[in-house]
Amino acid sequence: MKIQIVRDVLEANDQLAGDIRNVAKNEGFTLVNIMSSPGSGKTTFLERLIPELTKKGLKIAVIEGDITTTADAERIVKMNIPVAQINTEAFGGDCHLGAEVILPALHQFDLSKLDLIFIENVGNLVCPAEFDTGANFNFVVISTTEGEDKPLKYPLMFRVCDTAIINKIDLVQYLDMDMSLLEKNIKQINNDIRLVKCSAKTGENLEEAVNLVVSLVNSR
Amino acid sequence: MHELQIATNIISIVEEEIRKAGKTEDIEFVYFVAGKMRAIIPESLQFSFDVMKRDKPFLADAELKISEIPIKIRCKNCKAEHTLDEPVFRCDTCSSPEIEIISGDELYIDSIEFSDT
Repeated sequence: MKIQIVRDVLEANDQLAGDIRNVAKNEGFTLVNIMSSPGSGKTTFLERLIPELTKKGLKIAVIEGDITTTADAERIVKMNIPVAQINTEAFGGDCHLGAEVILPALHQFDLSKLDLIFIENVGNLVCPAEFDTGANFNFVVISTTEGEDKPLKYPLMFRVCDTAIINKIDLVQYLDMDMSLLEKNIKQINNDIRLVKCSAKTGENLEEAVNLVVSLVNSR
Repeated sequence: MHELQIATNIISIVEEEIRKAGKTEDIEFVYFVAGKMRAIIPESLQFSFDVMKRDKPFLADAELKISEIPIKIRCKNCKAEHTLDEPVFRCDTCSSPEIEIISGDELYIDSIEFSDT
């Protein structure tokens, strides 16, 4: 005997992600999920971006997902903005932030006072792409040191993201890397993705990322 | 690593469905469908399923059967359809990047089969 089921295994997560989008709509904030491999510069990017966005009048909070340490949250909390820390377990636990941990984290904030919430996802190019966080926009940060072939190796990540931040452009001069090949590889996976090249460390072209985020918030 | 979470989800959905069907033993196969876009490693999912099922007596003899679905695209420009063998999301006929994915995104449990004893 065989029973037909046809049920998506991520249905529970996808439902919660939908609930999160409803909360964002009702409370009037924008949720941006930032993903990357470990060490691409997500935290530095946020450290540089947030003060600029604050100057533009945006009220911001961060949901920090990090494996067992609070190191990243401590860096963000110095900026005097609300931070919700999610610790995923290092052993046998999660390698991504699912909607089920984002929803309670959101409720730690006074949502009516916020315009923009960033999720700093766990550093990993595979699993976070799979689990919808309920974010309105998905960013992938890819640094120039990672190699031009990364988009081809992790196509789902580049398919689910609307924006790719190419970080650490200050290092290009020291590297044997081909920027146009990296851009071509990203576009080959997702022709609609926005590309922003910057250096979170030196601040070079960070303005473009700032303006982009402001326009995304205003578009909603 | 996401295979572990997916195996856990498979098991809880199967548990719910067999309760609904009023049949809680003799599960022989669980048929699972994974599109290539989902980057599921079948061996890893199999392993996770086999580890997680140890706590579930109703799955003692159950085997997970995974079928993988290739990534197929349809060109919005010339309407040609192609199966992708490598991650180049572009029409093979007219080179247009304006494509839609028509299969390869699947991630679902298709059915459960019981032994007929």
